[in-house]
Parts: sequence; C-alpha cells; structure tokens
Amino acid sequence: MRAAGFGATLIYTSFARPSAVAWLTHFVPYWNEGLLVVLPAGAPLLLAAFSKRMHGWIRSVSHVGDVQSVQQLGKAAADVIEHLPVSSRIGVLELDALPWPVAEPLLNSRHGAALTDATELFASIRQPADDTEISLAQRAADISLKALGSIPSGATHASQVLAAIERSARLDGAEEVLARLAPDLAAGTALQRAEGDSMLGGRYAVELSLAYKATWVRVARCFSANAPQSWSEARRWTSDWATRITGASNGPPPGNIAFWSLEACIGSQPFSVVASAIGPRGTVFAGTLACFSIQLQLPDGPWLGSGTVVVGGREPGRVLID
Amino acid sequence: MSVRLRAERRARLAAAMAAEGVDVLIVCGNPWRSDYLRYAAGLTPTFGHVFALIEREGRVQVVAEHPLEAARFQSEQPDLRVSWSLSPIEAVETAAHSFSRRRIALAPLAAIPYRLAVGSFASSMSSATAMLDRLMLRKSPLEVDALRRAATLADEGYAVFREAARVGRPEYALVADVEAFFRSRGCPENFQILASGGKEVRGMHPPTERRLSPGDLVTTELTPCVDGYYAQICRTLVLGSPSETQLRAFAVYDEALAAGVAAVRPGATAGDVARAQNEIFRRDGLGDYVTSEYTRVRGHGLGLYVDGRPALLEDVALVLEPEMTLVVHPNTYHPEVGYIVHGDSVRVTADGCEVLTRTARSLFSVPAG
Repeated sequence: MRAAGFGATLIYTSFARPSAVAWLTHFVPYWNEGLLVVLPAGAPLLLAAFSKRMHGWIRSVSHVGDVQSVQQLGKAAADVIEHLPVSSRIGVLELDALPWPVAEPLLNSRHGAALTDATELFASIRQPADDTEISLAQRAADISLKALGSIPSGATHASQVLAAIERSARLDGAEEVLARLAPDLAAGTALQRAEGDSMLGGRYAVELSLAYKATWVRVARCFSANAPQSWSEARRWTSDWATRITGASNGPPPGNIAFWSLEACIGSQPFSVVASAIGPRGTVFAGTLACFSIQLQLPDGPWLGSGTVVVGGREPGRVLID
Repeated sequence: MSVRLRAERRARLAAAMAAEGVDVLIVCGNPWRSDYLRYAAGLTPTFGHVFALIEREGRVQVVAEHPLEAARFQSEQPDLRVSWSLSPIEAVETAAHSFSRRRIALAPLAAIPYRLAVGSFASSMSSATAMLDRLMLRKSPLEVDALRRAATLADEGYAVFREAARVGRPEYALVADVEAFFRSRGCPENFQILASGGKEVRGMHPPTERRLSPGDLVTTELTPCVDGYYAQICRTLVLGSPSETQLRAFAVYDEALAAGVAAVRPGATAGDVARAQNEIFRRDGLGDYVTSEYTRVRGHGLGLYVDGRPALLEDVALVLEPEMTLVVHPNTYHPEVGYIVHGDSVRVTADGCEVLTRTARSLFSVPAG
C-alpha cells in the first residue's frame, strides 16, 4: 500500500466473496456482508452489517482491530477515511465488482475520484502460500479424502453419496462442503449441483470443494464398481502433470485433454482461474496453492479429476491431494 | 429445478418486461445473492459471478466466471447460450452493446457491480429491481407447493436436530447430522445458524467447537431449500429438564409467536406483525429486548432467498397480500436465561394465514445424561 501510495484499502466480503478478508483477519461473514478498512499502519477496521450483539462472536473467530456495526457499508467507510487528504488514493479490491449499494456512497464521497482498483496489487501479495496456509490446506485435503472414502461402495443414488460426504466432512470440522456430481459419465461430464435425487450410472464422478478454517481445497474422483485400468493411468499422469503444470510437459496424456484449468485464491473468491486451456490469466507464482481440474477423453470413455497442488517453480510442485 | 416452475416464471417475467417496456433484462447474481437469477433464469451459482441477459422474447444468454459453472448451466438448460469469461463484467458490457436501440434494464440493486452500475443502464436499476421484487413477493401455487415441501423438510430436519443435540457433542456435529439428513433427502442447501449455552449467549452463529453441557439452551434456525424455495423453522431446546425460569421465559416467546401469526392477514402491514409480537414483550417489561441492541427482525419474507422482503419491523409499511410467505420469529435475548428462538413459516391466505411448519411449539427437552 505504501509503495502504491494508498491512504487506505477497502476490501468487501460476503458469503460469495469471503477469501480476501478471511486471509487478512480470518473473518467470514456467512449470511451477511462486511467491508474491511486497511490503513497503512495498525490493525484493520471491520465494518459489518451485523448487529452489535454479534461483536462477541466476530471477535472470537477473527483478528481485527475494531469492529463497527453499520447499516451502510460504503457510507461508513467514507466516514472512516474522511480525514485522509483528498489527494490520497483509496485502493478497492475488485472495484469493478463492488456491489453498487456499497460503491455508490464511496463514489459520492470526497474521495470518489480517488478510488483505485487494487486487484492486481492484492494478487501480487496473496500468493505464494505460507506454511500455515499449506498446513490448513493439507488438513482440508485429508478431510476431503476421508469424506470421499466414506461413500458407500454400493451407492445407487446421488443422495447417498452426498449425505455420506456431508456427514464425514462436517464431523471432521469442515465449515463449507460443496459437492457436485456427474451422476452418469456415460451421459455427460457436466458436474451438477444435485437438486432432488438422481440414479447413479455405472461410472460417476464427484467433485468436492471444501473449506476448513477458511482454506479451500478441491478434489474430484471417478467411481465405478469396475474401474478400468485406464483410470489408474489417467490418475498417475494427472498427478505428475499437476506437479509440472506451469512447466515442461510430462509426456502425452493417456487420451485427449478435453479441458483443464488451474484455480487459485488471488482475490476475494476461493477459486479464480489463473490458467486454463484457453490461456493464462497472468503469472502463476511458484508456491501458489492451487486447484487443478482436468477432463480426459480416454479410449474407453471420459475421466475427470481435480486436486490441490503447491505449484512448482524450478523444482516440481507438490500435490496435496489428487 | 422444476421445469414447470421455470417456464411459469419465465412467462411472468416476459409479461412484466412487456408492461415495463423492457426489451432486455440483465440479471446479476453470485452464490450469496442468487435469488433474482433463480427467478429470472433458473440458475443457481455456486462459484463466481453469473449474469443472465434475458430478452423479452425468451432468448437467454449467460456469462459465468468459471468454466465448470458454465458447463453445468449448459447441461441444466441446453436452450441457453452459455459462455464463461475471466472478466465476466466486461463480457456482459460487450454483450449488452450488441442490443443497440433496445431498452435494457439492470437488476438487482444488491448485486449489480460498480462497473455496470456506472454505465449507460444506471437509470433502470431501481425500477427493474422493483419489477422483480413484485414478481417474487406473491407466490404461485407451484411456488407455494415448493415452500410446503421445504417446510415439511424443516420439520423433519428439526427432529434430526433434537436427536443430534446431546451433552458432550460439539456444535458442528449437530450441523453434520442435519446437513447429512438434508442431502439424503435431495435437499441441496440449508441455511443454519445455532447457539448453545446460557445467559451469555446473545445470538446465533455458524457452529463452533463448543461442546454441549447439561442445562444449555440450544437454539437453531433451519432453512432448507426445495426447488430453490426456502422455508424456515426456529426452535429452542434444553439439555435436561427446563428450569422454572426457562419455562416462564419461553412462555413469553410462545405467546409472542402466536400473536405474530394471528396478525398475519391481508391488509395488515409487516409492521403490524412485528408490533403484535413486540407488545407481548413490552407488556412483560421486556421492551428493551425487542430493540436493535438485542435482536434484528421479528421475521422476514421467504422465497428464493433465506432472508427476503419484507423485514418484519415495526416501521415497515409493506402491506401483506395473499400468497406472500413469511417466517414469524420473535427471536431475542432474555435477561434471565439467554437467547431464545421460536418461529414458524406461514403463507398469507385470503383471510389470515396458514402455518406451514408443524413442529410443536414447545421448549423441547432432551436427555442430559
């Protein structure tokens, strides 16, 4: 912030966009919204739409300086930064995406002309992940694997799969569990948000995105009572590929690559695409905690996988879960 | 999501757009505010921004931020034109420009991003949001049916919660049991907060690692979703036998809930329903505890959002109409026993209301041993 000449940086948080504020304070607002005011020195100030009685809970789960209950996040932030010189640049993470009810009072404040997008600045410091975050991700990865392992071997319906995952993951402390299914790989590979129930085909896939103490990981697995040999080969190749995802190829895949992407937390969302089959978004730092997703068209049908990796640099990366 | 529901809503939206003179409606959403997108396009985002550009004639173009979300939407509704972009807001701007000379509107206010809001459609935001709000307030028979099923699930979920609440278990284990139950019933999501303890508890929150103790009041608010529609139930239980003080305190909430439900009828305002509940507290000398210092709202609308319009507060003048759906809940802090919650989902009928949740209105007791 000092290098960019920011007098303050504003970071919005909600259930949909919790990650930046969680990274800085560990606070996730769940059913509400907040705006973090970060000044060049001192602890950040959390403006929250929660009533004052929730301050005890907020303080018990986060690391912030002050917490203020406010009705209008943008207006309150404008008041907080009013003392700054009008020439001060005010950084806003993902300014383009800031919800209008928050943005409007800021735009109309004396600092309205000074609002500056801080997305690139934040992304430049967000990764690589530190040891603590990687440890949390490893714990989340372990929870995920155990949850996938709890799927009944004879499951015939999506509801059985989802219930088993949910129970296992939450009993292990996961606070968010988002599972999507391709219930019948013979019919399609689209990962669906199960609403109601559906029969499972002979081959199906599950993608599990999971948060443990605000650290998200993702894993996907294909399931079949008679898994073909090609799946083992696909998984081996993918695991190796994931360690070199930004580097040299590890040889041809066992089939055609239908799709791939690499997602990392570089802003307010748990996952943002940083590289994909259609091209990179920008530099992916060595040491970035990232989730890869890949779909292969194998000779005997489609296969898909996701996992979590610490991206390599000169040395291969480290797969936490695949 | 029900194909019939989606078709019905699409038709209602097209009629409203025609009445308002809107040719193209751009609806913004994300996993937090997905209600307007659900209504207008039948889409429920799980990650990232999603935008639907809906032409009055029925063509729908969708821009997602994540490729797998785009693939899912295309799979769910093959008739949509779906794409994904690393810069979805910019992509929507570009797409909107292709509708030159057509009248474009933008909604909802709560989810419109800054960049679109300062663009050329800014003047349409309030009216387009109001148009969708009107459509979403009164429910059709199909929508009420979804809410009824969600209410039944809420009742069943609370029975699971009662079984799960046992001394020594951490709060998150209760949520594990309830969420697993809901998934086993095909319910994709549930909004749940809870609390446990005594006089120190001021409100509910996501589950913590706190373990339940004998004598605790355990509160929860369950809000399962069926076909996109949420119903809610709020109840309180005691680990062990309730004390006389707990029973006496609970009686106030029970009477307030009954008074609130009795006040729900066409022509009454949201404020009337809040006032009916608050008067019970004021009569018993608990007026301080129905202020914003101790509580938020006395209930709220239900539908495609867990905390919809109208908020039940004494200063809200919105007039209730048949087929609106609400949860009435006089949840607040009690100075002698702590936080108590007690609430039911209701549907406004022609001459009163129908209570959708059926769980007994009791201060439940579960074994402490």
